[in-house]
Amino acid sequence: MEFFLKSNQYSVKVYETTIEDEEKFIEFFETNYMLFKDHLILIHGSLSQKIKEYLEFKSLTYLHNVELPKGRSRKALEEELQIERSASAVSVQIAEAKLKKISSKLQNNLTVLDTMVRSGQEINIEGDLLLLNRVNSGATINIKGNLIITNVVEGAVRCSGNFMMLTASPKANIIFHGVEVENDLLKNKLNRVELKNNEIIITPVLKKEISWA
Amino acid sequence: MGIVIAVISGKGGVGKTTATANLGLGIGLNSQRCVVVDFDIGQRNLDMILGLENRVVFDMVQVMDGEASLKQALIKSKVSEKLFFLAASQSKDKSVLESSKVEKLVLQLKEDFDFVILDSPAGIESGFEHTIEFADAAIVVVNPEVSSIRDADRAIGILDSKSNKVKQGEEVAKYLIINRIVADMVESGEMLNSEDILDILDIKLLGKVPEDKGVIDASNQGKPVILDKKSIAGQAYTRISGRLCGKQIDMKDIEISDSGLFKKIAGMFR
Repeated sequence: MEFFLKSNQYSVKVYETTIEDEEKFIEFFETNYMLFKDHLILIHGSLSQKIKEYLEFKSLTYLHNVELPKGRSRKALEEELQIERSASAVSVQIAEAKLKKISSKLQNNLTVLDTMVRSGQEINIEGDLLLLNRVNSGATINIKGNLIITNVVEGAVRCSGNFMMLTASPKANIIFHGVEVENDLLKNKLNRVELKNNEIIITPVLKKEISWA
Repeated sequence: MGIVIAVISGKGGVGKTTATANLGLGIGLNSQRCVVVDFDIGQRNLDMILGLENRVVFDMVQVMDGEASLKQALIKSKVSEKLFFLAASQSKDKSVLESSKVEKLVLQLKEDFDFVILDSPAGIESGFEHTIEFADAAIVVVNPEVSSIRDADRAIGILDSKSNKVKQGEEVAKYLIINRIVADMVESGEMLNSEDILDILDIKLLGKVPEDKGVIDASNQGKPVILDKKSIAGQAYTRISGRLCGKQIDMKDIEISDSGLFKKIAGMFR
């Protein structure tokens, strides 16, 4: 007996909202139906029977109170931190303690490699890796720990550490903790990708080329 | 003792056999003793490009099996008396190759010639592995396109892990020939430029060969294009074989088209 696993991957647009006024919500959807008909509607908070029926009647696909994996910009997180800060000093301390925790986990069994990873080659490492050479198209790197690559990446990278440092990698296929990191988010000269509070945050470290002349 | 050079590419159809024939002849014309061996067993075509198809009596598998002596099987080129050719077998396939037999043959050729050039089959299967196994150096032939570069990258990776020299802790010298460059397309950005290719493959550049319609006709007639002094590809192969024989020859920039050069000069007087 043979089994066939058929699967597909899609990128979908998600409209995320919390319903405060049901009438306004329906009115808003009536006017913007064309815009949202192909979106996945994600509703946080309470969801009444009336809204449910409305969404089903319009054959809109929706999810209720679900956390989706997503890469977020540094700015958004900072804004959130700012709100938290004003709300309570205690939560700020917790947030900072979490940040410290990450930096204490930075090193475990560091491997330093200066070899070129050519097409068809695969590198599997349990700990951290500092790679000083290229990862060519068709090559694969699987890392359990943290990853720093100082040269161009065109191959596939699977990392499940606390952070990655990558140069601009427009052609790479990068998967961090099972989530694909969009190449558009890695446009800068040097980018830090890290996992904080179950969110993937991408921070530009160097925006431009540094010239010493 | 001579040097054994494997001509490899990964992808097929990039001009490996044409390059082998032209370099062999170029080395012969530089008065160095050279032998070219067609390792593409089961698919003989180097003999045609060299114009020696009618003279093949014994092939390299027969030499390895002791059915013929090396002297009987070697065919002298019509153009250069320094160049010899050893044909591939057409009746057998790649599975007949055995490491010990290949090593014996290669060592024997190394004794008698300054350059032993092995024309590898396309792909990365056993035939390819036997070609690179006892090579001292490799010439990687690529076309300026992504699929060729990726396959070459893969072939270099295998060379770096499976060659005998690497297993003994030494390094195999690797040289790059970029074949079929069209200057106009490089200028317009449609074709990869050589700097990008060298960045990806990270090996030493031996030479660049421009696209030249004369190559096909030359191959069909069995007169390698290097013999045509007017052909731009022929001139490129003359430069490359000169470099292989130790001459200092500057890289010619063939990635600027004549019209592009004219525009540059015209711009200077504006």
